[in-house]
Amino acid sequence: MEIKSMRFKANAEASLANVVLQGNLKNAKGKFVTKRAEAIKELDDFEGTRDAAMAIRNKVIDNLDLWLERFEARAQETGAHVKWAKDGAEVCRLVTEIARAHGVTKVTKSKSMLSEEAGLNQALEAAGIQPVETDLGEYILQVNDNEPPSHIIAPAVHKSLDDVADLFHKVHGTPRKTEIPALTREAREVLRGHFLSAEMGLSGGNFLVAETGSVALVTNEGNGRMVTTMPRVHVVITGIEKVIPTLEDLSTLMRLLPRSATGQSISNYFSILTGVKKPDEHDGPEHLYFILVDSGRADVVGGEFHEMLRCIRCGACMNHCPVYQTIGGHAYGWVYPGPMGSVLTPLYAGIGNAIDLPHAATLCNQCGVVCPVKIPLPELLRKLREKQTEGGMRPLAERIGLRLWAWVAMRPRLYALGAAVGARYLKWLAGEGRSIRVLPAATEWTRGRDFPASQGRTFREMYAARRKAAAQEARQ
Amino acid sequence: MAKKTRVGLFVTCLVDLMRPRIGFAALKLLETAGCEVVVPEAQTCCGQPAWNSGDRNGAEALAKKTIAEFEAFDYVVVPSGSCGDHIRNEYQSMFVDEPGWRDRATAMAARTFELTDFLANVLKVDGVPGDYEGTVTYHDSCSGLRGMGIKAQPRALLATMKGVELKEMNGCEECCGFGGTFSVKFGEVSAAIAERKCDFIHASGARAVVGGDLGCLLNIEGKLRRMGDDNTRVLHVAEVLAGDA
Amino acid sequence: MSSREDILGRVRAALHRNAGNAAEARAVMADALADRRPGPQPDIDNAPQALLQRFRIKSEQASSTVEVLADESQVPAAVARYLGAMKLPTSAVVWASLVGLDWAGAGLKVEARGAVDADLVGITGCFCAVAETGTLMMTSSPGTPAAVSLLPETHIAVVRASRIVPYMEDAWNLARAELGSLPRAVNFISGPSRTGDIEQTIVLGAHGPYRVHLVIVEG
Repeated sequence: MEIKSMRFKANAEASLANVVLQGNLKNAKGKFVTKRAEAIKELDDFEGTRDAAMAIRNKVIDNLDLWLERFEARAQETGAHVKWAKDGAEVCRLVTEIARAHGVTKVTKSKSMLSEEAGLNQALEAAGIQPVETDLGEYILQVNDNEPPSHIIAPAVHKSLDDVADLFHKVHGTPRKTEIPALTREAREVLRGHFLSAEMGLSGGNFLVAETGSVALVTNEGNGRMVTTMPRVHVVITGIEKVIPTLEDLSTLMRLLPRSATGQSISNYFSILTGVKKPDEHDGPEHLYFILVDSGRADVVGGEFHEMLRCIRCGACMNHCPVYQTIGGHAYGWVYPGPMGSVLTPLYAGIGNAIDLPHAATLCNQCGVVCPVKIPLPELLRKLREKQTEGGMRPLAERIGLRLWAWVAMRPRLYALGAAVGARYLKWLAGEGRSIRVLPAATEWTRGRDFPASQGRTFREMYAARRKAAAQEARQ
Repeated sequence: MAKKTRVGLFVTCLVDLMRPRIGFAALKLLETAGCEVVVPEAQTCCGQPAWNSGDRNGAEALAKKTIAEFEAFDYVVVPSGSCGDHIRNEYQSMFVDEPGWRDRATAMAARTFELTDFLANVLKVDGVPGDYEGTVTYHDSCSGLRGMGIKAQPRALLATMKGVELKEMNGCEECCGFGGTFSVKFGEVSAAIAERKCDFIHASGARAVVGGDLGCLLNIEGKLRRMGDDNTRVLHVAEVLAGDA
Repeated sequence: MSSREDILGRVRAALHRNAGNAAEARAVMADALADRRPGPQPDIDNAPQALLQRFRIKSEQASSTVEVLADESQVPAAVARYLGAMKLPTSAVVWASLVGLDWAGAGLKVEARGAVDADLVGITGCFCAVAETGTLMMTSSPGTPAAVSLLPETHIAVVRASRIVPYMEDAWNLARAELGSLPRAVNFISGPSRTGDIEQTIVLGAHGPYRVHLVIVEG
């Protein structure tokens, strides 16, 4: 997917002004956050389950090469093909080759963030193959001129009922519906035809199970089942970090993933797919392909950001992020928004392409405390900030400002003088009032709020004065 | 006569610059509780702005300075969850190649406390000098709450004050949007988040919002005033507890 | 160099892989693969009646409807009653294992075959059911094609109470013991299909069934 993260600030401010988006975000926040909190209570030992989930993911990523080899071997034993792709271009090439080899003219897709990373739909269309998104949210975006998703679980969270009603009326040529169930039914009917006629189904993979060589798919709509049951070819595209050891581990992670994502105790459908259909079976693909994708992941292994590979793509971090809640996902400019996107985008799409993302955070850690696999997101964001500083990527004014601040702060007498001047200035600016309306050195602050006046003197001045007065009094 | 507990008070750069009365309130609370309080003159900044901005060198230099100034005290007390969290939790993750400094940071961390936590859980005071009367709502700052576990302590102390009626707001644990340098890098987003916090404050019905972090309080106060609210008071918990509010 | 070698090579290098630590890691991996201990599980009363109750409650919370019968012979009549009350068609595609019940006697026409788009009612059994979350475990095979519980608008599942287990981990152990290796498709189903993709409003009946009716047989 084209990266637009370099326009983060402008896009974020545009989001603030978008009244419809703001309404949708408010609505979504209440639902995701509240439902998750309710669902977590069912667990008796949420923290213990998080620890177990973290351990499961660490077990694999700390020895990722061996677990990948094991998964590959087991998957091949079940009759699946396992291919490897270094980057998005290779993903596109492999999928197109598979499609051509099997005479595929239409591909039905259930959600795959990797296919977004790779820009797969455009590549398929260029090759004369029709991709059809079947996740309702992704479908809405696809027919809206391939609008990018704004959330990893609820890709169309930014769209209103009216947006969708207008869109379907235009694209399907049907009478305009006004109710959500009617719109959903319309999408069902349109997509049912595609499900039954597509020769190839393409899915992501929530987890790859090394014990059995299986892919696990977590869905609610039934589209995941459709695209992996009806077509004769099934292709799974997923990142190399998605392996987990056993079915027991899958069960532990499944206690956390649906609850963290949508507040459900379990997703409607949880499909564990292994190999191809036998000759006497009615349903299922005759050919199964796994495409294991690198796209920057191998370079994260063993490094400073290794812990990010634990991510199970639940979306809880963005649901709880005050910045995401305020600006939505599009401003982040790539496939993954919110806190996890602010770590992954610089890592996978280039640190220089996403300079603002690690800084667009208050480091409040509302994300970290809900992450089911305990990724220390604020710490990773801070480390990215450090990498930017080391790489000389910060704006000159900022570098000078910070350097000056630290330099003065190392010199107490100079600092005391500077603070005394500052305290007087910040009282003077307020005039008669309690508040400063415009702060010349920091108009970013005062664009949206006042800056309270200071007391006019620093603590150290007043403390020294009091001590002096007390000493004089003592002498008398 | 028992030796008094020697406390080094880290006033914080924001308190020094903007609200000395918070520093004096902290001083009063600690002295009333029987501590000998020293305010090291040479203290400046804990270094958090540098650390959070990715300037490791600046951050480590200020950390070393602060450690050297404060490590000799029985306790280091900070009227801020933000600076307190930085000193207690972040200092010891610095100095990757300097185990000596790392050890000193770790040792000092064990004796570093946020003010309300110190009063409630270390000194275990059973009352406070303040006489505030009125309804208040409490803002749990992110680093205080999630970094230092500050939640029950300020509430327990406020509960000892007969005239204080605490009205909890929805979203009391949600970020106010300050985030240090975030507030001046992404000012509009920051202000929008602050507006949500102010809406929660208004909905609570309390006449005052109280918190343990001046950064948050300046952000909240600035937003309230810009929204046209000149009435809701914005107070540091030390001011309320000490009787200077 | 193939992409596989390139990718694995970089991962190995990043992990400082050598023959020594590989042997050690493989031993740990073997232990992990053989470890059947479940992770933390919420407390569930696993007495049979309690399991049935919990399964029922959780299923209803997931928007399935539930009826409990004493005996398997009552199933066709119960299904006919349900279809009549809901004004649904009286013909269905079913799993082979259910063909022996007296459907005709209840006025229903059933065929044991794979499902097609025109089928409006699908009747299945299940491999087992999980009480923790109110979930059916379906395993694919020639007699239990996956689409019977997917294509039709109405899915009716016959659940033997004796096959209700507390946790998903118990379901895996049953599968290992009775099936040996995993079938092509294991589908855990918890209620009708749904989506919340438009304004976070849940709508039942996305691409799969609109409604799921569970008939639990105690005897």
